[in-house]
Amino acid sequence: MKNAFRAAAAAAVAALALTACGGGSSTDPSNVSPTGEIKPREISWLLSRPADGAVINIMKKIADDYAKDHPGFELNLITTPDRPSYIQKLETLAAANKLPELFDTDATPFAQQLAKQGKMVDAEKLLKTLDVYDDYRPGALDYQRFDDGSLYMIPFQFELEFIWYNKALLEKAGVAVPTSLDDIPAMCTALRNAGITPIAIDGQDQWPLERYVAYQPFREAGPDFVQKLKKGEAKFADPAGQKTVTWLAELGKAKCFQEGFSAQGYSDAQNQFTSGQAAMYNIGTWELPSLATDKLNPDVRDDIDFFTLPTTEGSVTAANEFVSPSGIGMAVNAKTYDPLVSDFLKFALDKYPAEYAATGALSPTTDVETAIPANATPLYQKALDQADNLGSKQAMPWDTQLDPTTNGRLQQELVLLVQGNITPEQFTSTMDNAIAQNAPKFFK
Amino acid sequence: MQPNRMLPNRSRTSVLVFLLPPLLLYCAAVLFPIFQSLFLSFFSWNGISDMEFVGLDNYVRMFVADDIFWRAFLNALIYLAICLVLQLGGALVVASLLTSLRRGRELIKTLYLLPAVISTVAIAFLFVRIYSIDPAGLLNQLLHWIGLGSLERPWLSDVNTVLAAVSAPEGWRFTGLYMLIIYAALIAVPKELEEAAVLDGASRWTLFTKIRFPYIRPVWITTTIMATTYGLRGFDIPYLMTNGGPGQSSELLTTYMYKTAFTSTDFGYASTISVFIVIECLVAVGLILFLLKRKAD
Repeated sequence: MKNAFRAAAAAAVAALALTACGGGSSTDPSNVSPTGEIKPREISWLLSRPADGAVINIMKKIADDYAKDHPGFELNLITTPDRPSYIQKLETLAAANKLPELFDTDATPFAQQLAKQGKMVDAEKLLKTLDVYDDYRPGALDYQRFDDGSLYMIPFQFELEFIWYNKALLEKAGVAVPTSLDDIPAMCTALRNAGITPIAIDGQDQWPLERYVAYQPFREAGPDFVQKLKKGEAKFADPAGQKTVTWLAELGKAKCFQEGFSAQGYSDAQNQFTSGQAAMYNIGTWELPSLATDKLNPDVRDDIDFFTLPTTEGSVTAANEFVSPSGIGMAVNAKTYDPLVSDFLKFALDKYPAEYAATGALSPTTDVETAIPANATPLYQKALDQADNLGSKQAMPWDTQLDPTTNGRLQQELVLLVQGNITPEQFTSTMDNAIAQNAPKFFK
Repeated sequence: MQPNRMLPNRSRTSVLVFLLPPLLLYCAAVLFPIFQSLFLSFFSWNGISDMEFVGLDNYVRMFVADDIFWRAFLNALIYLAICLVLQLGGALVVASLLTSLRRGRELIKTLYLLPAVISTVAIAFLFVRIYSIDPAGLLNQLLHWIGLGSLERPWLSDVNTVLAAVSAPEGWRFTGLYMLIIYAALIAVPKELEEAAVLDGASRWTLFTKIRFPYIRPVWITTTIMATTYGLRGFDIPYLMTNGGPGQSSELLTTYMYKTAFTSTDFGYASTISVFIVIECLVAVGLILFLLKRKAD
């Protein structure tokens, strides 16, 4: 028995040592134009996008076209639309050193570590070599950049996030569109008094509530705040941090979000808004097909409008600067980058923008015009027009910025803060401690 | 040594040969990962960095510096208690009632067993709807109808009710399964014994405590161990329904370990927690055996 035990322990150690050594070498990530023969084969793209969405459908079509001239080529699209599950999958594959040729990731600290280890191809160089770099909207590329300005992911979308509202409900409660973020708590109280749910929110997915924590600091201190905060160089105890903490507590006290929001999902929140129960709903242009076409419930269709993120008094960012993400980006695996992957990307990135704009979505590039669908309401055009008039700064979603442990804790504590289960002081000390404990490991 | 004498000499070897493959499989699938976790728990490793040996740092952090760990541990014990009461208590009551039923036994057995064959994800979504307040779910509607409107609440968002709310579906789900096992044991209790006791004037309660329960004790021990280990490993329903929230109100050791490993990519620390879970399960089983055996003697 003792011997068996020893043998098993030895086997465990040996196997671990083997996996640990299996790191493998990667090719030079800055070499974006590999030379050699293009040998068609099957390549994979691990992505986190809707299974029947525009990006996947278009890329399938482009891959089929490419395969006509390159028999044997195939693009295997493996999607996990649920973001938390996707991230777990990605991180596990990265740990096993089994990432496919192409994979989706946000500009997270984890992705930055991969880039630092030379596991991703330099996207800025790649796009410049393909001569498409200047076609991209600066904002779309900036969204994908790491803090040091380096670019390793290619955007496939461009979205603008608005606060959609129901004019009739606001009128019923006797409130106007807020001119400042600080107006919102009072607005919620008035809406609640009129028996209306002020804001519908998807609490289950956690990122929607996390958007709200980003707004006040973005107005008060600009986009740098979160970059400092995540490294522990700024704190929630600082003025900009305290402003957002107090504001969120006020939103909670004014019962801004629907009761039991933390257990409600994406479609629950949207239904509340489109059925005319909730007055406001914070979501991006990816929902234009359901909010600005005749698919929208006829009862509320004429009452729906949107406003962009309100400013505040003394705000350092302008009204035309808000959350404008270019979606999860695509990274190119440096280890498997060869003439074929390079040639396919050249083919695909050239064809993609026109196809994507034809579906009625905003392309990450400016060289194509978005086709307005036939069933669109006037709001559709109005939403797209906002893209032409954007400032140079953008509010980054915090879930792509913080280290994963701090991010998880923030998402949990935010719910407690808004529900009134903890005080702003407790929130501040818990979060500042969490950052102090977790950030150094990620940003050393 | 009775069975061995019944077999020819050489079959002892053949028995060992036939036992070896499942044993190896067991080692590869169960023991190896446990040892691997034990090994990893002494390292700091995020999956892509170099593994750094940190000695007992992870254990010190777990026991001294991690408030979520203790919260999750306490939650896991409460979760276990609720599951055990529902599963074993509920099963025993239903099984006892079933034995005195003359008709419709099969139907009731099937109905009770039904949740055990429904997929976990379906159960989780079902209960999210049942607990919902806006739109009002089944539970809140029921409370409203029977005049207990003041008790209506968002069961999964209220930090005081969420833990019980996520434990109940798991308990409910397997009540039928344990009911079936206990029922099978109860109908095996010799009728003569019971009849003799009744003739001696034993009440139903005495009948149960002095004859039926002692008779089914071995089965009871097994079901308790099964239910306890399942309860300690409970993961899917809380994870799907609330993901441990709001805050850490329904965070269990298992969900916390999972998040530490796959969200925080802190594989070393997650292994430390998993080692704790393994030890916790072993201790629980040891305690059950000790307590129930001692009572029997």
